[in-house]
Amino acid sequence: MDYPLNQLYAYVTDTCNLRCRHCWIAPRYTAAPGGEDGIDADLFASVLDEALPLGLTAVKLTGGEPLCHPRFDRLLEAVRERELGLSVETNGTLVTADAARLMASRGGAFVSVSLDSADPAVHEAIRGVEGCFAAAVRGIENLVAAGLRPQVIMTVMGRDRRDLEGLAFLARDLGASSVKFNIVQPTARGRGIHERGDMPTVPELVALGRWVDRELAPSLDIPVIFHHPPAFLSLSRMFGPGGDGCHNCGIKGILGILADGSYALCGIGVTVPELVFGRAGRDPLAEVWRHNEVLRGIRENLPRGLKGVCASCLLKGVCLGGCIAVNYGTTKDLWAPFWYCRQAFEAGLFPEGRLLPGSFPTN
Amino acid sequence: MDDVNERIPIANPAVVLREEFDDWAIVFDPDTGQAFGLNPIGVMVWKSLDGKGSVAAIARRIREEAEGVPEDVEEHIRTFMEAAVRLGLAGYEVS
Repeated sequence: MDYPLNQLYAYVTDTCNLRCRHCWIAPRYTAAPGGEDGIDADLFASVLDEALPLGLTAVKLTGGEPLCHPRFDRLLEAVRERELGLSVETNGTLVTADAARLMASRGGAFVSVSLDSADPAVHEAIRGVEGCFAAAVRGIENLVAAGLRPQVIMTVMGRDRRDLEGLAFLARDLGASSVKFNIVQPTARGRGIHERGDMPTVPELVALGRWVDRELAPSLDIPVIFHHPPAFLSLSRMFGPGGDGCHNCGIKGILGILADGSYALCGIGVTVPELVFGRAGRDPLAEVWRHNEVLRGIRENLPRGLKGVCASCLLKGVCLGGCIAVNYGTTKDLWAPFWYCRQAFEAGLFPEGRLLPGSFPTN
Repeated sequence: MDDVNERIPIANPAVVLREEFDDWAIVFDPDTGQAFGLNPIGVMVWKSLDGKGSVAAIARRIREEAEGVPEDVEEHIRTFMEAAVRLGLAGYEVS
């Protein structure tokens, strides 16, 4: 079967102007964004041309901080010229009025902005740079003024429901289109957060997720998403009227391209070299996409190759193992059970109704 | 000529319907682990696949018991059945 390459995740620069404690990639810090670091704009455009015949429909620009790229405008233009869908993941601090207008022009973009608390001191303690809260809020305001309603993403570091509630209402008041709560992943800097226990436990996260799903989300007039695996979400919230979907990244149709032009499973390639599959400009993209052994293995074996609790999960067909990049980053096994589900299962908190009857997963 | 409207649909007895707190449900084949979500109307339809009523009869029952049912509900059910048969979740009684 031929799988289309639906989407490129472009990690356009390996630098960032913030020093987030929980970052799953850990880019190099720069106090002077806009230097020479980042993917060559011509190379990027040529990759899009190679990807179009493979089925490309959309591109996500991320990083590092994508607006640190010295020619972010040319990257946007390359996507627009090819009439591809565009999403941008940013910390918001470099989103000037001009940058916002650029993103809003010619069909717009889905933009997500990271904001880890409604409290400036908490946000800046997590993100490691003074003044970054006001800059991020200004970035959101610029996007809204340009006609874009960004998604605001908070990485859950604390245990207090009021922090999530405060952030959700702030985002709504700023004009966000939705709010998403992400969980710290145990890779790069996030690994240290996990090892130190400097975040909610899985039982606490499961409880927070249930509260968001059943109480916080219905109290707001914009979608509020707690991004834990689908096994923990109600079907109605995922697939009912106004549902948020299952937030599966669609790994079978995605390829990452890193700032140095490397093709990789996704951004995990920055820290896990064995998930780098070739290099743009040297290796034909069609060759990489169609014949790389890891990518082929994923297409042929996901989800039935999943192990442990994921093998017994009734939602594995939509979840596809949580995040197999993180699975590999933490265990060197793409097919290992997702850490969150494994821990929930061990704690007796994995929803029984989402498991095959009589299954006794081995973790 | 076989009139598809008169065929009697029936659920595969090996397939499990597991209802959830919000009236949605998962149907799954315990042998393969293949699973699918059903919305509340889908659950009503599934429960009607008892080998006793035609698609037309199921549509009549849905119209009686649910609100806001679209006029073409029978067509929806037929599409649902096609998918269920294709996936091995249901079939038609042999007369």
